[in-house]
Amino acid sequence: MRVLEPWLREPLADLVRESAARVVLVMTASGQVIAQHGFTRSLDVMAAAALGAGILATTAELADLIAPGDDFGAVVHQGGAQGVWLAGFDTPRGRWVTLVVFGRESSVGLVRMFFDRFASGVRRLAPAPTATPELLAEGFERELDDSLRALFGTG
Amino acid sequence: MSADRWSALLAEVTGIAGVRAAVVVAAEDGLVVHEAAMDELPTDDLAALASSVVRRAGELLAALGNDRLRLCTLVAERGTVVAAQGAQGLWLVALADPDTELGRLRLQLGDLAPEFA
Repeated sequence: MRVLEPWLREPLADLVRESAARVVLVMTASGQVIAQHGFTRSLDVMAAAALGAGILATTAELADLIAPGDDFGAVVHQGGAQGVWLAGFDTPRGRWVTLVVFGRESSVGLVRMFFDRFASGVRRLAPAPTATPELLAEGFERELDDSLRALFGTG
Repeated sequence: MSADRWSALLAEVTGIAGVRAAVVVAAEDGLVVHEAAMDELPTDDLAALASSVVRRAGELLAALGNDRLRLCTLVAERGTVVAAQGAQGLWLVALADPDTELGRLRLQLGDLAPEFA
């Protein structure tokens, strides 16, 4: 498990343990990775984050077409051996997205239930957002390297 | 079966004194298919947890070489959960207070569960 911010470790560990999730990815609505469990290659996690954020943005547009102002909340894909739960939730840091891959040892109902608790935990534990200074080019690169190191243990 | 019929069957369960909720659950995904419950009772959570227990208990019985699980009863200090197997992967689950007539509840669930399909 890798997290960008230490306070996120406990609620994420609870989600992984209680829902028996195989893979969990927490990201911003724009696809920036905040925490991950179960990925071994940085390329996979970046692709999954981009695709997950894209799917949720697409379904949000679809929901808006069908019922303006409404939201689907969560998207579930179920395959034979494993399923994917994808849902957004509001935090003090803005809207975040969580992707959970689960197998037959879990279920949509369990993932939904423990995702709700995870989202509540994040809302409760998240520190208030601080004003971020404008990023210079060299600062941005260093921040990116630090984030990658935190998420994958490499740089 | 119509939704009215499902509601009528669930009302027979919640009509037993002490029963706080009756929920039809899809065991495979742990989601509520139909429900009758007291206000503010988290039936979604009940369905998810009950389906998990039922699936694990089924796996345990299978590992022991026994028949399929048909009825599952969990008794705790503050309440009882009874789940009876219906058709097509559905389970009829009831949540009851500790002083509920457990024998009657089990019989009722066993009789009604096969009708949910």
